[in-house]
Amino acid sequence: MTTPAITSTRLKIGMEIHVELATRSKMFSRSPNLAHPDYYDAAPNSLVDPVVAALPGALPVMNKRAIELAMIVGLAINCSIAKFTKWDRKNYFYPDLPKGYQISQYDLPLCFDGEVHFTGVDGTTKRVGIIRAHLEEDAGKLGHELPGGKPYDGSLVDLNRAGTPLLEIVTHPDLASAADAVIFAKELRNICRFLGASEGIMQRGHMRFEPNVNVIIETDDGREYATPIVEVKNLNSFRAVHDAIEYEHQRQVEAWKSDGIVDGPGLKSTRGWNDAKRTTVLQREKEESHDYRYFPDPDLIPVVVSDTWRQEIASRIPQLPMQRRARYKKDYDLSAEDATALTDERDLCLFYERCVKAIHTDGSSDITGVQAGQACAKLLLNAGAKRAHERSCPIHELGITPEQISQLILLRDSNAIGSSSSNELFALLCKTDDDAQPVAERAGLMQVSDEGQLDEWIEQAIQAQPQAADDFSRGKDAALGRLVGEVMKLSRGQAEAKSVQAKLRDRLRGD
Amino acid sequence: MPSDSGSEADMDEGATIQGLVDALRRRESSAVELVDRYLQRIDRLNSSLNCFCETYPERAHATALQIDQQLAAGDQIGPLAGVPIAVKDNIVTDFGHTRCGSRFLENYKSPYASTAVERLEQAGAIIIGKTNCDEFGMGSSTEHCAFGAAHNPWDITRVPGGSSGGSAAAVTADLCCAALGSDTGGSIRQPAAFCGIVGAKPSYGRVSRYGLVAFGSSLDQIGPLARTVQDAALLLGVLAGADRHDSTCADRPVPDYVAQLETPTKSLRIGVPKQFLSDDNDPGVNAAVRDAIAVYRSHGAEIIEIDLPLSEYGIATYYVIAPAEASSNLARYDGIRYGRRAELGPDDDLLDLYARSRAEGFGPEVQRRIMLGTYVLSAGYYEAYYKRALQVRRLIKQELDAAFAQCDALLGPTTPTVAFSLGEKADPLSMYLCDVYTTIANIAGICAISIPAGFVSIDGKRLPVGIQIQCQAFDEATMFRIARMFEAATDHHTHRPDIDDPVRSTDIAR
Repeated sequence: MTTPAITSTRLKIGMEIHVELATRSKMFSRSPNLAHPDYYDAAPNSLVDPVVAALPGALPVMNKRAIELAMIVGLAINCSIAKFTKWDRKNYFYPDLPKGYQISQYDLPLCFDGEVHFTGVDGTTKRVGIIRAHLEEDAGKLGHELPGGKPYDGSLVDLNRAGTPLLEIVTHPDLASAADAVIFAKELRNICRFLGASEGIMQRGHMRFEPNVNVIIETDDGREYATPIVEVKNLNSFRAVHDAIEYEHQRQVEAWKSDGIVDGPGLKSTRGWNDAKRTTVLQREKEESHDYRYFPDPDLIPVVVSDTWRQEIASRIPQLPMQRRARYKKDYDLSAEDATALTDERDLCLFYERCVKAIHTDGSSDITGVQAGQACAKLLLNAGAKRAHERSCPIHELGITPEQISQLILLRDSNAIGSSSSNELFALLCKTDDDAQPVAERAGLMQVSDEGQLDEWIEQAIQAQPQAADDFSRGKDAALGRLVGEVMKLSRGQAEAKSVQAKLRDRLRGD
Repeated sequence: MPSDSGSEADMDEGATIQGLVDALRRRESSAVELVDRYLQRIDRLNSSLNCFCETYPERAHATALQIDQQLAAGDQIGPLAGVPIAVKDNIVTDFGHTRCGSRFLENYKSPYASTAVERLEQAGAIIIGKTNCDEFGMGSSTEHCAFGAAHNPWDITRVPGGSSGGSAAAVTADLCCAALGSDTGGSIRQPAAFCGIVGAKPSYGRVSRYGLVAFGSSLDQIGPLARTVQDAALLLGVLAGADRHDSTCADRPVPDYVAQLETPTKSLRIGVPKQFLSDDNDPGVNAAVRDAIAVYRSHGAEIIEIDLPLSEYGIATYYVIAPAEASSNLARYDGIRYGRRAELGPDDDLLDLYARSRAEGFGPEVQRRIMLGTYVLSAGYYEAYYKRALQVRRLIKQELDAAFAQCDALLGPTTPTVAFSLGEKADPLSMYLCDVYTTIANIAGICAISIPAGFVSIDGKRLPVGIQIQCQAFDEATMFRIARMFEAATDHHTHRPDIDDPVRSTDIAR
């Protein structure tokens, strides 16, 4: 039998995303939440109370804030919100699961039927359908190391993470490449961060991705074959998402070539990601009939979402990254790269907008919106990014304020400082709360356009560079540079360059 | 502290909550004296009854001393000030052990207190000790206990009922003034009936379950066991009301049950479900119910026959829902964080740890119910058992709603029989049938009370009979009033077992 030749292969990717919500307290108890910045560095098992430790007699009580954060994410990704939802117990034994069951939402998820749009790697707009987004509680962590990294002969349980509110978002298999999957994942992370729903710090496991991957193989006899679906568990970096999908692409095509097995009921398998080897590893062959014995949790009352409540939450949704990018292009004529760079981090984005706003509220300038938007973007992404890189610190945390940035741009716009001084002033402003102008004055960065002073420097320059003055007066344009340079030297950079040139022309050529 | 017959008599005289509090207020007795007398009585009688698991003499003394000081200073004292109250072993306290009658929790001490116990203590109650119960509340005889069975004070060869048998026996034998029990399918009312005292199961959501070790979460309620309806009403008034630790606890106002107790109910309609007067009941039980009907009728109540055809599915429904919830509720006892942990060999793995810890820690009845519950929730059986049971539950509720449109209360026996002998019900099914009249209240979430209604004589022993009054959810006020009507018209509640007779060791051995 001759195997038909493969003419093309294409990926079909769906995604499950676990988002740890940054509420103050846990999903079902008053114990502090590890995913909230105030508690990142809590000592192991210090964020535990009777409910978290599942002591006899303890009862869960729902955290309303977690529901609201889940709702706001759901609304932002265009989901319908259930008017009635409830909590179910997912029963299984594991040492990191204190109650012996996880409280989750089984058949009535809080959010369902949504969609996310993003710009794919090919520049076109892509759509990913959202099947559902439901709330549940995270489990604790199992470890084999003592705090500080000393090895321990045995297993250790840390319940700090147990009970953290977890939003599980499930998409349709609408993604077609690893690159798009990563763009989508980043977009979703940004949305969650813009909404303040999650800090989204990947290294802390605030977001975990589980792509469902298979490959559609076309052969030269015109037929199509779908490989069995593989779920890759627990990826917590974008690079891992990308590489795991790429790896599966190749592996599944090779597997099909050798065994010809196509997707069918019960054939879905689970694989883990080996970060060191950059390969996926089989975890569970086929879909084991895992019986979680779901049933409604009798300790909790159902959640009823009124129209008023839903609308109130919807009204809190700020403009999301995609919309902001579109606005930056339209209003400020920013390049796609700059717009993306500015919306990649919520805090930088908000900082940028405060800078632009500060220029306009200043009112002392006739600078246009486009100019303001452009100038702020350039300053942040050049001087800011350079300095941020040197200090390994986010741009918006360099110490310079939006007001100072606006002042700097206005000084430059009015030629009060030279463009060459702007980086130096930027650096100085990072270290002080003072306004830009006094700082520039103290540092001698203000340009001098005072006629008398300029004339004085020009006379001195001509005397110091007689040859150049002679050359220039006889029509040799190139000599002007030397004279200007001399003036700048004399003025220690404070002379306003354009005026100096004009005056030199006047003085030596009389035209 | 002398324990002469005089002081015993005094105590018996004033042994209602109100009596004790009044005696303390009048300074006829001190709280410390009271605690001493009860502790001495426990010392003397507990060996034959095994109703207390442990007592808290030091703590009880300290609290009593505080109350005496408050009284001396003329301070305000709570409604339960100085009253010695016992707590069932499945309600956590932040002192002593809370073992739930289980080997698994033999050394377990709760770091936090249940809302119920907190409220009792805020009202001035003295928690004198923990009472024996069937393991995790699973049983109807207080025989399924890791630490020995409790005995009925009326006849120590018989069971006190269960699972709150220790609480019922302790109140009956006057080892405490009142006690907390918990009722999942009759665990307060059935022992109250077997011991001839008052036991009330509040409506679901009336009392916080925070700190009640869960058995069937949608059915469990904490409630009082006491010697009079007034005491039960007083206790419930203290226990009831919203709790931020329990979202199933209702945020509804709590009426002053005691103040309304003597208010006559106008045009009272008492419903008697015809299914409740079964020929399978002991004749003495049915006779007591008929006598009670006559009492109510003579007080002007209209007696209405009610048909509750679905009530016969109560037991079946209950024994699907309760074990299902229990199988999940008891999953936390895994040997990882607290409680029993089996010794492991070098080749044993995590599953061995779970399986052996649980096999060593849980008694046979608990294991049976975990298996039953796991089965009815399993894929393929969920629809046929658990889901069906929820449907029947809804129908039973509807049937009761319809019944309460016709009458103010349902009257019937609490149990089909009087207290049976220890070891008599070896077959689990026959034990389950003890709950035939009590599970419906839990299934429907309504309130129900068992009150003393007479005695039958068996082998020369007088054994109490209880009648049950059930009212609509959150209508405890009516329930107590109707119960009080009967109590005021009869003297069954005044009878006490002759427990002070020397107990023959042979009786216990049998």
